[in-house]
Amino acid sequence: MPTEKSDLLQGTLDMLILKIVALGPVHGYGISMRIRQISKEVLQVQQGSLYPALHRLEKRGWLAAEWGASDKGRQAKFYKLSAKGRKQLESEESNWNRLAGAVANIMQTAQ
Amino acid sequence: MSWWKSLFPKRASDAQMNSELRFHIDELTDENIAAGMSPGEARRRALLEFGGQEKFKEEVRDVYRIRILDATVSNLKSAFRFIRKSPTFSAAIILTLALAIGANSAVFSAIDAILLRALPFPDADQLVRVDQYNQKTSSPLHLVAPVRLEDWNRLNSTFQALTGYYSEDVSESTGSLPERITRAWVSPRFYQVWAVSPVLGREFTPDEETLNGPAAVLISDRFWRRRFNADPNIIGKNLRLDDHLTPIAGVMPPSFLFPNREVDLWCPIPAGFSYGQARANNWFTVIGRLKSGVTVAQARANLATVQAQLARQFPKTDAELSVDIEPLKELTIADSRRSLWLLFGSVTLLLFIACTNIVALLLSRSAQRQHEISVRFSLGASRGALVAQLLTETFLLALIGSGLGLFLAAAASDIFRSLAAELPRVEEIHLDARIVVYSLACSVVVTLLCGLVPAVRGTRRSLSASLAQSGRSQVSGRNPLQWLLVGIQVALAVTLLAGAGLLLRSFQQLGRVSRGFDSSHILTFELSMNWGETGDMKKLRQFTDRILETLRATPGVDAAAISVGVPGAPFRYETELKLLEGRAETEPKLIAENRFVSASYFATMRILLLAGEVCRETDGPPTLVVNRTFADNYFPGSTAIGHHVQSLNLGYSGPAEIVGISGDARETGLDRAPVPTAYWCAPVAEPGTFFLVRTRNAPMTMAETIRRQIHDIEPQRSVYDFAPLEQHFSDALAENRLRTILLTFFAATALSLACIGVYGTLSYSVNVRQREVGLRLALGALRGQIVKQFLWQGLAVCILGCVAGFALAAASSRLLAGLLYGVSPSDVPTLSAVILLVLVVAAAASLIPAIRASRVDPMQVLRDE
Repeated sequence: MPTEKSDLLQGTLDMLILKIVALGPVHGYGISMRIRQISKEVLQVQQGSLYPALHRLEKRGWLAAEWGASDKGRQAKFYKLSAKGRKQLESEESNWNRLAGAVANIMQTAQ
Repeated sequence: MSWWKSLFPKRASDAQMNSELRFHIDELTDENIAAGMSPGEARRRALLEFGGQEKFKEEVRDVYRIRILDATVSNLKSAFRFIRKSPTFSAAIILTLALAIGANSAVFSAIDAILLRALPFPDADQLVRVDQYNQKTSSPLHLVAPVRLEDWNRLNSTFQALTGYYSEDVSESTGSLPERITRAWVSPRFYQVWAVSPVLGREFTPDEETLNGPAAVLISDRFWRRRFNADPNIIGKNLRLDDHLTPIAGVMPPSFLFPNREVDLWCPIPAGFSYGQARANNWFTVIGRLKSGVTVAQARANLATVQAQLARQFPKTDAELSVDIEPLKELTIADSRRSLWLLFGSVTLLLFIACTNIVALLLSRSAQRQHEISVRFSLGASRGALVAQLLTETFLLALIGSGLGLFLAAAASDIFRSLAAELPRVEEIHLDARIVVYSLACSVVVTLLCGLVPAVRGTRRSLSASLAQSGRSQVSGRNPLQWLLVGIQVALAVTLLAGAGLLLRSFQQLGRVSRGFDSSHILTFELSMNWGETGDMKKLRQFTDRILETLRATPGVDAAAISVGVPGAPFRYETELKLLEGRAETEPKLIAENRFVSASYFATMRILLLAGEVCRETDGPPTLVVNRTFADNYFPGSTAIGHHVQSLNLGYSGPAEIVGISGDARETGLDRAPVPTAYWCAPVAEPGTFFLVRTRNAPMTMAETIRRQIHDIEPQRSVYDFAPLEQHFSDALAENRLRTILLTFFAATALSLACIGVYGTLSYSVNVRQREVGLRLALGALRGQIVKQFLWQGLAVCILGCVAGFALAAASSRLLAGLLYGVSPSDVPTLSAVILLVLVVAAAASLIPAIRASRVDPMQVLRDE
C-alpha cells in the first residue's frame, strides 16, 4: 500500500467522477474504488467530498441516478451520465488537456 | 401547500441518503473481511474510514439548501444596499406604493368589515328581518302588529324565535338636566334571537318580561361609558325614565349596536300589553333567527303558510298581508355595496397606474444598471439569479411601501367615518391580521407586476455585449415599452377621471334641481316624547300648539311647523287611498306618499298652493292637500278638490276631503322626482316628529334661544338634534358624497401619476438623445422644431391613451348608471372636459422636458463625446 496520497486538485473531482460514470452506471462506492484502482492508489477520494459532489452533479443535471441491486444483491444508488453531463465532460476534458499540456510544457522547458 | 414545495428544488430524502451511505459502509466492511479481518473489526474499521456520517449528510443536504438560503440572504443584502445607494429613487417608489397599496388596503378593510364579514352576532347568518306588507301598495310598510308576531312565533316551524322591537326617545332625569336618550323596547325572546349576553350584570328575567312585572333596563356600552364613566358597580342603580324609576340590570357589549348605533338602552315589552292586541296596529320591526340548516326560501314558504292560516282566521286584518324575509346582513349593507365595490375598483386601477409608473422607473433604472448586470453575467451569474436579485429589490421596496401603507389602512375607519358617518358597520372597520395579509399579498402581486418585466428585460443576454461599450452607449431613444406604459397610465387615469367627473356633475345637478320648497333658513329639531303620551290626544294637541306658538313668538323666527319626516330626506310612507266617491276598476289605484304636517307647513316650507286652500286643523271632518302630481295623475282633466279619500292602512285617519292642491316638492329625497303625495293635517306632535322653524338669520344661531324658550315651558323635555335642514340633505347624500370625494381623490392621484409618467419618460428620452439633438442644432435645426418634436412625442401617446381611456370609460359606464342623477353615463360635456383636462396637463408635463431638450448646448454635447 503506497504511503503517499495526493490531494485532488480543486475542481478536478467533478471531472473524474464524470469520467468514471461515463464508463457505465456505477454507485458511489464503485466510483471511489475505481478512482483508487485506476490511479494506482495515488488518488483517494474522501467520502466526505464524494457524496456532496455526486449530489451536486445530480442537481445540476449532469448525472442521473436510479436505485438498483449491486453485484451482491444490495440496494445501491447507481449514477449514470446525462446528455448534459456528457457535454460538460467533453469541455472539461479538453480544458484539462490544454491545462495539463501547458503545465507539462512549462515544467519541461524550464528544466 | 404545493406552491411552497415548488419554491424549493427537489431534495434527496434523508432515508435515501442513509441507505446510499449504508451501502458504501457495507461494501467497505466486505472488503475488510476479504482482507482477513473479523466481521466486528471489519465493520469498525469501515465506519472509522468513513468518518462522521452526520457531518456528511449535513454536507450533502447543504448541496440542496445553501444555495437558496444564501441567495436570498445575499439578494436581500444587495437590495438594502441598492436602496441606500439610491435614496431618492427608492423613496419615490416606496411613497407611490405606500399611497397606492395603503389606499387599496384601506378600501379593502372597509369592504372586509362591511361586506364580507358576518354581522357581529353569533351565527349571524341565521338572522333575518321579517316584514309584513300589503300586496296592493307598491311600497311595503315592514312593521308588524305585536299580536301577529306572537302568532307567527306560535305557528311557524322554521324559526328558533322571532322578536320585535321599536325605539323611541325618552328623557332621563337623574342628572341635573333632563337628557334625551334612545330606548328600544324589545319583545320577549330577545336573547334567543340575538344570542348576545350582557358583559356586566344579567339578562331580563321571565318576570320582567311579563305584564306588570318588575321594571328593568339594559344599557348600551356607549351610554355606560358616557354617562357612568364605565362604573363597574352600576348594576341595580336606578334610571329615571319619563319619571319611572327603572333599575339597571346589565350592560351590553360595545359590538351590540342594534337597532342602530344611537341606541342607549333596552327595555322589555311584555307580550300581553293592552295596546299591542289590535291586529291593525303595526309597529314592531321583527327580527328572526332561523333554525340551523333552514334556508331563507324555506322560512319564506313556511311563514307564508302560517300567514295564509291567519288570513282565514282574521280575514278583516290579515287577508291582504304577505310576509317577506330578508337576511339581516343584506338589509344592513345592501345600499353600500355598489359604492364600496366602485371605490375598490377605482383604487385598484390606481394601484395599476402606480405599478406602470414604477415599471417605467425600474426600466430606466435597469438601463442605467446595464454595466453592473453585464459584469455580473461575466462573473458567471445565471440569468435566473440576476432576475431573482432584481425581483428581491422590487419586493423589498413593495414591502416597505405596503408597511407604510398600513398606517393609511389603520386610519381607514376614521376616514370613512368622517366622510360618511351613515355608512353601516363603519365602527367595525379596523386593522387586523386579515388586512396585514392582504397588504402583504398586494406587495407580492406588485412585485410580480412591476418587477418581472424590467428584470427580464434588464437581464437579456444581448445586453451583456454592452460591457464592451462605454457608459455613453447608444440606447434607443424610442423605448416603445415605456411609452406603452405611459399610454396605459393615461387611459386608466381618463377612466377614473370620467367616473369622478360624472359623479361630480351628478352632485352638482342635485344642487340645482328645483326642490319645490325653500330649504334655506330652516332649522330642525326634535323634542323627547314617548308613545304613551299619544293616549291623550287632546293634551298632546295643547302641548303642540303651545310649543308652536312659543316658537312663532320668538324674535327672529318667521314661521314654525311640524312634520313627521324631514322634507327632502329619504322617508317613505306610501299607502293606497280609497276614493269614497268610487272609482272604476280600470282606473289606476290611488297610491300616494303620505305626509303628516301642521297647516303651517306649507307657509314655513314655502310650498306653493296652486288651488283651493290649506288643510284645516279643526276638530271637524279632516281635510287634506294633495300635490300636483297626485292631481294630474289621478284626476286628469277634472279637479281633485272636493273628493273624499280614506287610507286603507292608516287605521286612525277617517275619510278626509281634498281641499287644496300644492305645487310638487321633492319630499322623499332630492334625487327623487316628486311622486303623488297626500298631506294630512296632523297638528299633533308624536315621537319622532320634526319641528321646522324658518329663521331670519343663519338657522343655527337661533338654536340656543329656542332651547331656552322651550325649557321655560317644558322643563321635563329635552330638545335635541338642532340642525339646519340642509344638513339633513347632506346626511342623506353621505354615501353619494363619500364615493364622489374618494373617487375624485383617486382620479386626481391617477392624473398626477400619469403626469409624472409622461414627464419622466420624456425626460429620459431627452437625456438619451442629447447628442442627437446637439448634432441637429449644430447642423442648423431651429429650437422651435426640437420643442415641437418632443412635445408631439409626449402628446401623441397621451392622445392615444385618451382614446383608449374613452373606450374604457364608455365600457365601464354601466357600473355608474344607477349611481348618477340628472346626467347620463355618456355625458358629452363631462367626458370632453376630462379629455381636455388630461391633454392640457399632459402638454404641460411634456413641455418642460421638450424645452429642456431645445436648450441643449451643441458645443457642450459634442465636446463630451
